[in-house]
Amino acid sequence: MKRLTARALANWSVAFTMLATAGVSSAQGYGSDGVIVRSEVVSDVAVGGETVVGSEGDASGDPAGYNTGVGRGYGRPDLFYNNYTQGYANATNAQMYVSPVPVPPNVGHTYGTYQPFYPEEYLYWHKNRFHNYYDNGRGTNRTRATYYAPPVRQAVSNIYWNYLRLPR
Amino acid sequence: MLRPLLFAAAAAATFPAMNLSPASAVDPYAVTDIWNRNFAADRPWHGPYYHIQYGQPTALVVPPTAHMRQTYSWGVSQNKMMPIHHQFGRNASSPGARPHGSFRPTPGWPSHTDQFGVYYVRGPW
Repeated sequence: MKRLTARALANWSVAFTMLATAGVSSAQGYGSDGVIVRSEVVSDVAVGGETVVGSEGDASGDPAGYNTGVGRGYGRPDLFYNNYTQGYANATNAQMYVSPVPVPPNVGHTYGTYQPFYPEEYLYWHKNRFHNYYDNGRGTNRTRATYYAPPVRQAVSNIYWNYLRLPR
Repeated sequence: MLRPLLFAAAAAATFPAMNLSPASAVDPYAVTDIWNRNFAADRPWHGPYYHIQYGQPTALVVPPTAHMRQTYSWGVSQNKMMPIHHQFGRNASSPGARPHGSFRPTPGWPSHTDQFGVYYVRGPW
């Protein structure tokens, strides 16, 4: 088992060096020992000067590949997105940020820069996961967030606010 | 031997009671979500009144797990419970804000809670 792992590592290192030097086309064939090297491009930078379908780095002046329309294996989530009322019968619409009504452009805008702290996440009891892709998709950071209210304190608060509190 | 079984039974009995998450599998196929979307597609989220501070109908963000709203009114009982269909979504929508005068002000003698120009919209999931 240990020897197999060492061989696998050796294969991987060979594969990576081949990736770095000679491009992608030779990355196959080194997975004969149970290590599967995918034939897709791992890197986001076009290596070796060749253009590979499905990778970024087209020659169309779009180095990040944002407008190529080519599906890729990872997402590009917006850091901050607004939410709007939906439907076709609305005479006016509301956006959730800035609440409660749109402000003139000279007022500016407020951006939340950390998705787990968005206010709408605190509205109900749930779990959520946030993925951040950095280094052009080479790395992923995953954040799990649990939005939780302690049930006993919640129950006591409910009894107080809904039954005991004097309405005034 | 019996005690661990009892503990396990007690834990199994208390776990559903503690798992009070409102988004749990009461509606596993999200049928009410479909209903809400269909209802929200062809009726507005707002009423004909504007909020007196903003000049627009104002959306009050409520939790997405909220189902119903309560309206109170004067007169022979018009206190109604109605579902909250609308939910904030990702798509940018048009038209945006209307100019002043597109909606009615709150009457000087309000007779219904919808006349205050605040309407519930559920937050996004």
